[in-house]
Amino acid sequence: MPPRRKPQVPTARSADAAAASRRAAAGPSSTQKRPSVSKQPPNPPQPEPSVEEQADEHPHVPYRHRDPFDALLEPFYYNKSLTDPINTAKDKWNLLPAFLKVKGLVKQHIDSYNYLVEVQLKKIVESSSIIRSDIDHNFYIKFTDIYLGAPRRADEQQDAGPGFTGSTVSPQECRLRDTTYAAPIQVDFEYVRGRQRVKKTGYSIGRMPVMLRSSKCVLSDKTPAEMTVLNECPLDPGGYFIVNGTEKVILVQEQLSKNRIIVETDPKKEIVQASVTSSSNERKSKSYIVLKKDKLYVKHNVLNEDIPIVILLKAMGIHTDKEMLLLVAGIDKVYQEDFAINFEEAIKLGIYTQQQALDWIGSRIKINRGKQSNYRRTHVQEAVEAIASVIISHIEVKDMNFRPKAVYVAHMARRVLMAKNDPSLVDDRDYLGNKRLELAGQLLALLFEDLFKKFCFDIKMNVDKVLNKRNRAEAFDAWTVMSMHSNHITQGMNRAISTGNWSLKRFRMERAGVTHVLSRLSYIAALGMMTRISSQFEKTRKVSGPRALQPSQFGMLCLADTPEGEACGLVKNLALMTHITTNDEEGPIRNLIFMLGAEDISTLGGKELYGPGCYTISINGTPMALTRRPKYFLNAFRRLRRMGRISEFVSIYINHHQRAVHVATDDGRICRPLIVVENGKTRVRAHHLKKLREGSMSFDDFLAQGLVEYLDVNEENDSLIAIYEKDITDATTHLEIEPFTILGAVAGLIPYPHHNQSPRNTYQCAMGKQAIGAIASNQFLRIDSILYLMVYPQKPMVKSRTIELTKYDHLPAGHNAMVAVMSYSGYDIEDALVLNKGSVDRGFGRCQVFKKSVANLKSYSNGTKDILMPPEYDNDAPIRKHALLESDGLAAVGELVNAGEVYINKSTPDQSLASGFPGSEMGRPVKYTPTPMTYKLHDPAYIDQVLVSTTENENQLIKVLTRQTRRPEVGDKFSSRHGQKGVVGIIADQADMPFTDQGINPDIIMNPHGFPSRMTVGKMLELVAGKAGVLSGQHGYGTCFGGSPVEEMSQILIDKGFSYGGKDYLTSGITGEALPFYVFTGPIYYQKLKHMVQDKMHSRARGPRAILTRQPTEGRSRDGGLRLGEMERDCLIAYGTSQLLLERLMISSDRHEIDVCEQCGFMGYLNWCQRCKSSRSVVKMAIPYAAKLLIQELMSMNVTARLKLEDEFPETRGM
Amino acid sequence: MSREAYQVPSSLGGQTAFDSGASSLDGPMVAYLCGECNARVSLKRGDQIRCKECGHRVLYKERTKRMVQFEAR
Repeated sequence: MPPRRKPQVPTARSADAAAASRRAAAGPSSTQKRPSVSKQPPNPPQPEPSVEEQADEHPHVPYRHRDPFDALLEPFYYNKSLTDPINTAKDKWNLLPAFLKVKGLVKQHIDSYNYLVEVQLKKIVESSSIIRSDIDHNFYIKFTDIYLGAPRRADEQQDAGPGFTGSTVSPQECRLRDTTYAAPIQVDFEYVRGRQRVKKTGYSIGRMPVMLRSSKCVLSDKTPAEMTVLNECPLDPGGYFIVNGTEKVILVQEQLSKNRIIVETDPKKEIVQASVTSSSNERKSKSYIVLKKDKLYVKHNVLNEDIPIVILLKAMGIHTDKEMLLLVAGIDKVYQEDFAINFEEAIKLGIYTQQQALDWIGSRIKINRGKQSNYRRTHVQEAVEAIASVIISHIEVKDMNFRPKAVYVAHMARRVLMAKNDPSLVDDRDYLGNKRLELAGQLLALLFEDLFKKFCFDIKMNVDKVLNKRNRAEAFDAWTVMSMHSNHITQGMNRAISTGNWSLKRFRMERAGVTHVLSRLSYIAALGMMTRISSQFEKTRKVSGPRALQPSQFGMLCLADTPEGEACGLVKNLALMTHITTNDEEGPIRNLIFMLGAEDISTLGGKELYGPGCYTISINGTPMALTRRPKYFLNAFRRLRRMGRISEFVSIYINHHQRAVHVATDDGRICRPLIVVENGKTRVRAHHLKKLREGSMSFDDFLAQGLVEYLDVNEENDSLIAIYEKDITDATTHLEIEPFTILGAVAGLIPYPHHNQSPRNTYQCAMGKQAIGAIASNQFLRIDSILYLMVYPQKPMVKSRTIELTKYDHLPAGHNAMVAVMSYSGYDIEDALVLNKGSVDRGFGRCQVFKKSVANLKSYSNGTKDILMPPEYDNDAPIRKHALLESDGLAAVGELVNAGEVYINKSTPDQSLASGFPGSEMGRPVKYTPTPMTYKLHDPAYIDQVLVSTTENENQLIKVLTRQTRRPEVGDKFSSRHGQKGVVGIIADQADMPFTDQGINPDIIMNPHGFPSRMTVGKMLELVAGKAGVLSGQHGYGTCFGGSPVEEMSQILIDKGFSYGGKDYLTSGITGEALPFYVFTGPIYYQKLKHMVQDKMHSRARGPRAILTRQPTEGRSRDGGLRLGEMERDCLIAYGTSQLLLERLMISSDRHEIDVCEQCGFMGYLNWCQRCKSSRSVVKMAIPYAAKLLIQELMSMNVTARLKLEDEFPETRGM
Repeated sequence: MSREAYQVPSSLGGQTAFDSGASSLDGPMVAYLCGECNARVSLKRGDQIRCKECGHRVLYKERTKRMVQFEAR
């Protein structure tokens, strides 16, 4: 049989692999209906050949040489040309760029969204496609198809079909206009109108946000040049949404896998339990089999109490005790003995028959029936219903055949017994193979399903209401009802994505913080965000398990990139080659298993099931077949997968402890590609790599030919993977493509990370995201609320492969600073840096800060709306604060704006809240109160851009972008790429800086004390490699587990007449004398971090006070005071400076004079005590206003607080 | 086209007409640049924000003709 994909495209159709893969992703009409199940064999006729051809004739010609990845592929690294000899050991890493070319860095998100749009939507609608009316049984609305149209604006026609190309909407326009980048969800449906059946096609039921770069996005299949025309950055990873103008990411969510048995022990309570979280389309529930006091029970939420397992199995129709015993324990004496005790339970309760068991269970089911109170079901019915659809709900019960479920329960029980006898068989919750990652597509599917069901329900209610009316004025058309509800889906989606609150009634799911605003601090921050994984559970618990690095994470999750502190180890990042699976069809795999000679489990009893040499075959955790030749079965299965008969993402592995073969087709498994090794030789040979290099073979061809395959965590655990080709032995099954892929995109920036102490790499991962640099190639077209850009970014001298693959060198964030590691002045202690003033003048560390301010001219219900006012004039000149304004009430572009100046002169109508009755205030002229936007910061800025546009609801939108250019100053934060951060301690004149005999001044002087304790050897190697690179005119490479060897770098230094260690002879710029030591000098890539003094500097003498407490306000933005806090107060008390304390806490804060009546202890006013009606004993005293407030607040709550006064100096009284 | 077909709700429409009538007295035209085709668009207050050439709805203000002095450091 032919392979699933044409491995090498014939030269005649040299639209070649790139074009082929593009065509594959081109949309619903192309070959790949579902991206994950990409293997429809080519020989059966294409279902829609005509449409297919249309898709083929894509307007733009295939491009090869402009693709940035091709630039990577063509000249090959190590400066090899096409004719250079190929060394499989060294060049196999070329598969990595090939992989990324097909998969991309954020392919997980995009794949899952594509799967949602192309497959899952249809499934969701299929499962509830008919709306019927309770009133008129002839009426129905049937959805026959659903699809997502092309993205368009909200005010454009939503119902036009997929051929509609009228919209010119682009993601950038949505960002600028604060609109949602969305496409209409269109349905085909038929319904009954009067007597006839009406069909409608392409009717929009709502708008779904479109993921950027997904198959529906206008950016898919665009060349970099075309992207630039759309004002979009070709390097932008995509995978996020634009909702109301903000970029929102749905982070990858980590969860314990669904529908799998997890066996746990609780040593304290001596409990062994197997639990399974069942998740089917209808229901989500958790069931347990618990071993308590040596007896097995079933625990579930619908059950009032734990029921003995024998009773459940009896109820499920396992009639004889022997059958039950065999099903659970097999022929193993130990397990049989352990299980036998359970029979007593049933006998004690007098339950012998299925009927009795059902009755017994039924009486223990929680009744939560609100609706159908009209008819009561018997206990037996209740029990049957519960067992069939609630307990372990993911095992379907068809035609009342409980056998599969009984087998499953028995299997769970067996796992418990096994774990009891051998504690090593307890499952590890933290094992990555037991985890599933939930992606944007799945989360959106849940959301859409919920909204769609609600939509259908609303329509039904509405239809019922209309049909209920006896005599209607006009013929009923369900069309009108449907259009009424079209907003619900749109708004539901928008709200969920923009707030991040996923609240689904059906699953009782209430999740907050699912989405985040895409961080655009730097290119790498955005990229890092797309690979981030957040853990669902236990943030506060003090267990180290979930936070610790699991060995199974090797190669799947980045081992350095995790935040410090609270979320440490819970927030993870994907490694470079990781892919997350989408769902694959289970049915064909099931058939295939039987075709490979496995026996159906339902035909077998326990004796065969657990007989010697028998292995059960589970598909997605459910045992369904039996094989007596597991190894043969496994190999056959793998062979078929390598041939492409099964999806490459279906995994199979043997668990010898459980004597089971597991096949997994579900979504959310983490996997990565590896080179296949057979008979001690890699299947990837030199000629394959040559073809890859020539471009006649792509990564998909490698997959199709079985040279490379995806392994998920479980299967990886079942293989022997050699890291290098020389390590291959006879037992080796796979070969690593490249070891540096165990790091993620962010950690990949670090040169020589394998020489650093590990926490330093983690620190750098956090800091790399704060580095100021180029953000995207459309950075100057973006209007973000805050944007930091570097004026002259440089690509690093010492690169790594990851840097090239992530294209960090196209959008770099930092400078190659010449660093001298020496002590200089006293301003360099504690990691402070000395900066060269000359370098700063020349632009070192110079950055721009763009800030956005927005004004929305709202319309009010009475017809009035906000307006912009022209500047006010005084003596023929605009008044001072209106100096910048032009006649349209907006600041002139390019002007310097100082504190207090108005840049948007907005006015709000006075009667904005007045009633909207026409006529009442209609004739009167509208009065306006000025509500201008004033520049508040102390440091002036320039008006960079003023954008005028309209939002979706036709309100005028004004965005003003201000720009500041900042040069480094003392206190600004810099960092190298090794977690070595420091602030500028002094900016020294260039004349005072030391210089080498070549006249080179360092840009930065770093204190050598930074090295010994940090052990960042990688930084030293970076310096040496960078220096050698500078001298020889090439880049150094600091790739993890590889890179330029120090020996070679030192040799270059020697050849160029330098010391091999990178040390130089320096002359002091201050004295002109030679420094009496050699100084380690060379280029190191330094990043400027976003923390700058200018944004933080704050001082205040007197200033604003809070209204309520009359104490100084808090925070820099409110010009607040500096708090003398509790601990500082403790110090002053301990030191005994009572007057200072008094001054700080009262006099300089909220001193308040009150009148106190000595008689009653209450406060009076104006020397009068209202309570005693006298002024005789009223005295004045000063207390903090907060204290006065407290007393009065207590009084308002009926708590008396009296001030009892005493004279400090009684003898002076009355004087 | 569908754009022309769009009508602001009637009560608002009357008011807008009233507004624009009042505001046309003050404020000369201000020139903007289209974000799509870079055409010069002159708008009065109350005009719809839309490029007259291509119908794009994002406009930018033109750079000022006033003298701006930079401190080059």
